[in-house]
Amino acid sequence: MDMNDIDAAVTVRVNGLRRQFDSKEGKVIALDGVDMQVRKGEVFGVLGPNGAGKTTMIRILSTLLLPSSGKAEVMGFDVGKEPEKIRAVINMASGAERAGYDFITARGNLWFFSQLYGIPSEEAHKRINELSKMLGLQNYLDRKFYALSTGYKQRVTLVRAFINDPKVVFLDEPTIGLDVMTALSIREYILKQAKDHGRTILLATHNMAEVDAICNRVAIIDKGKILACDTPAALKRTLGASSLVLDVSPVPTLGALEPLGKLDGVKGYTSSIDEERGLSRIQVVVEGDAAGQSVVEAIRKMGMTVMSNWRQQATLEEVFVALVGRGFREREHETS
Amino acid sequence: MKLHSNPWLRTAYARLWVRAKSIYGEPLWVAINIGFPFFTSFSFTMVYRAYGLGSYAGFAILGGVMISFWGNVLWSMASQFNWDKQVGLFEIYISSPASISAILVGMSLGGILGTAPSAALVALLGWAIFHPAVNPVWPAVISVFALTLASLYAMGMALSSLYLAYGREADSVNEALHEPVSLISGVYFPSTGGFSPFPLAVQAGASLIPLTLGMDALRRTLFFGQGFGEPTIDLELVALAIMGIVLLFASSKALKFLEDKGRRTGTIAVRQR
Amino acid sequence: MSLRAIAASIRVGWAREFNWTNPLAGFTLRTVGPLASVIAASAVYYVASVHNIPPSFDPSMLAYIIIGAALYTHVAAYSWVPTLAIAEGKWTYVFPQVYIAPHSSLPYLIGRTLASFASSTMTVIVSLILSFYALSSIIGTGIPFIVTPVSVSLLILAMVVNIFAAFGLGLLLSAYALFATKFEWALPTYVAGLLMIFSEALFPVSLLPHPVSDIANVLPFTEFMRASRYAMIYGDIPSYSLYLGLSVLGGLIFLGLGYAAFKYAENRARRLGVIDKKTA
Repeated sequence: MDMNDIDAAVTVRVNGLRRQFDSKEGKVIALDGVDMQVRKGEVFGVLGPNGAGKTTMIRILSTLLLPSSGKAEVMGFDVGKEPEKIRAVINMASGAERAGYDFITARGNLWFFSQLYGIPSEEAHKRINELSKMLGLQNYLDRKFYALSTGYKQRVTLVRAFINDPKVVFLDEPTIGLDVMTALSIREYILKQAKDHGRTILLATHNMAEVDAICNRVAIIDKGKILACDTPAALKRTLGASSLVLDVSPVPTLGALEPLGKLDGVKGYTSSIDEERGLSRIQVVVEGDAAGQSVVEAIRKMGMTVMSNWRQQATLEEVFVALVGRGFREREHETS
Repeated sequence: MKLHSNPWLRTAYARLWVRAKSIYGEPLWVAINIGFPFFTSFSFTMVYRAYGLGSYAGFAILGGVMISFWGNVLWSMASQFNWDKQVGLFEIYISSPASISAILVGMSLGGILGTAPSAALVALLGWAIFHPAVNPVWPAVISVFALTLASLYAMGMALSSLYLAYGREADSVNEALHEPVSLISGVYFPSTGGFSPFPLAVQAGASLIPLTLGMDALRRTLFFGQGFGEPTIDLELVALAIMGIVLLFASSKALKFLEDKGRRTGTIAVRQR
Repeated sequence: MSLRAIAASIRVGWAREFNWTNPLAGFTLRTVGPLASVIAASAVYYVASVHNIPPSFDPSMLAYIIIGAALYTHVAAYSWVPTLAIAEGKWTYVFPQVYIAPHSSLPYLIGRTLASFASSTMTVIVSLILSFYALSSIIGTGIPFIVTPVSVSLLILAMVVNIFAAFGLGLLLSAYALFATKFEWALPTYVAGLLMIFSEALFPVSLLPHPVSDIANVLPFTEFMRASRYAMIYGDIPSYSLYLGLSVLGGLIFLGLGYAAFKYAENRARRLGVIDKKTA
């Protein structure tokens, strides 16, 4: 049975969702007919490069933005017609936000946010303590907000996102710019919130490792369209092929690799730079060994030396490469 | 129904607490906030004393008190949502079930409570240094003061919705508004009535600003012994009450309009797409 | 000291003053504040003197107030720019970048101050002209300004010379901003308020009690006000020259104090590790 067809306990339902913005350069389509369903207790990832439409989707679902057309429902309530009903059962947080009142303590800020939901003070303080403990924030609760480091401000933001015992939580790049250990503890916290409390968590991110680590399902989004939606493992399986990884020198410019995409049997490629070793790592999704051989030859013809190459299990980024023909880096470069 | 279980009151109280706590949590704020209003009123008091009507030096001290509140309305009410928008707080308000009017009312009451110590210090210092002549009718003074603050902060609420349309330029608009409004409203001198240097048309226009009527009524009740029953005082009290109600209504409508517009155009948050 | 860095900082400062909107709106909004301040101070004098018993209104006193109020807003507007550049620059991380460039923090602060001086000079001149016409028509009497190429040149020279004192004050305030983590925004407004009392902006400092009046009497800002009034109201060149000289002398002393405080604060801020610390 297709996981997307399961209707029971659907908490977020999106049909033909479209949103365009007027800009100086003309109309920009941020979402272009998105269909999606998210179930209760699920950590659902929306994975895509910057500018793919992830934040727009979260802003629509969290009632901050109206769709241009199409339908979006949260807990059965329409985002356009029943925003007040949605607001009572959701919360949201963004990694880009460090929202809080500087001269108030972390605890004071969290208590204030709890009051926006009408939570009795005693109950609010209990929740603040419980949630803070999970994130290792308890010893910093009595510090003024301005005195907290970026990582602890983000922890405050994530406690806030769950302060009202929400049924659905929208998180937009919640670990962006954080160190690895902080990011790991935040992921663990998010997972626990979904597992132990049956909350639906919709996580917009461009971090593949994050999706792999905590998402039950993931929708891959590019240029406002959902290209695929399934569990991370199933998506990688559908690729049906391992990918070819090459370390090459010197580092090519972004445009220099374009001929690779035109080779027979090549579904797409992406590259990254290993600055420490002065190498470029190229990942190519290929069908069959012959295509792999022609990739190696093409790279040599471009004047680069292949230092090493090997096959590896497909990653989510390679799923994206196979679907789009480019990686996140190339996609962001194209749209910048 | 218990009052503390009312979500509107909870939100208003929480916002009041945040505003007042921010100020009382840093006592130095009071000392800093008193600076500019006190020194300005000191200078104008010296002008009254040096060049003539020394017995009305109290006008300038009263001006120092009221300019503290006007500064608070402008910098911490009118542009607050704009600032909240820049740091991501406004979208938290909107995406929560909280009433925006409760947030505004809490912000106003917190602003009044937070500004009161520095305003009181301006009055006390001015009184101690200059001993201005007063002839107060206290019930009228208190009523006028309360209504003036109510309508002034209602004006702040209305401005806060207008300011949502601005970006970083809000600070420049504040700077531009601060002095002209205190001039037209006659914070340091009577801008309406027999003492005013302004032509009638300017006085009529100035009377549309709550601060103008409030200042005039405060001067009359505090220095000239006028109280309830005086036609001008009664009229000014009624006008202040009407202005407060109209501005409250206008701010609530404007905020709703701007929230709907913001949801349509995507301008509730600073971040896009 | 790099002239190139100063020139670049002037450009940045100018853009910071006016680029947030179209030039006309920017200039208008920057002018209405000083204009309103000048008219308000004049109105207080008018009310006090006209309703005095017997009336004591004197047009030359009105001119005294107009010049004082206008030049006070001018000095207050640009003397806090170094503090603004540091406080805002810490927030946007511009200042630490400027700081680590070789010999750039002082040229940067000088450039930002000069840009603000230029824009504030424009607004104050427009304020003076508009308040002169507005007050003349409201009060219905002439205001005895001496407006000749010589008097205006002398006024502008006094304004230029006063940069020493204003920048010295700016450096004193920014010395605090360098290692402050809060309230550095508020301090300049506090000092601006004090300046209104101590600079003879609206009333003679001799009216202040001793020894406060003695201190105010020798401040370069007071001498600057006096020199400007001798140029524009009294037409007394020898007195102008005397006060201008005192203004230069006091300005240089202020500059030296400001520089020493800034250097001390710089070392202290590095020791405390707060040069790149964002402030609350």
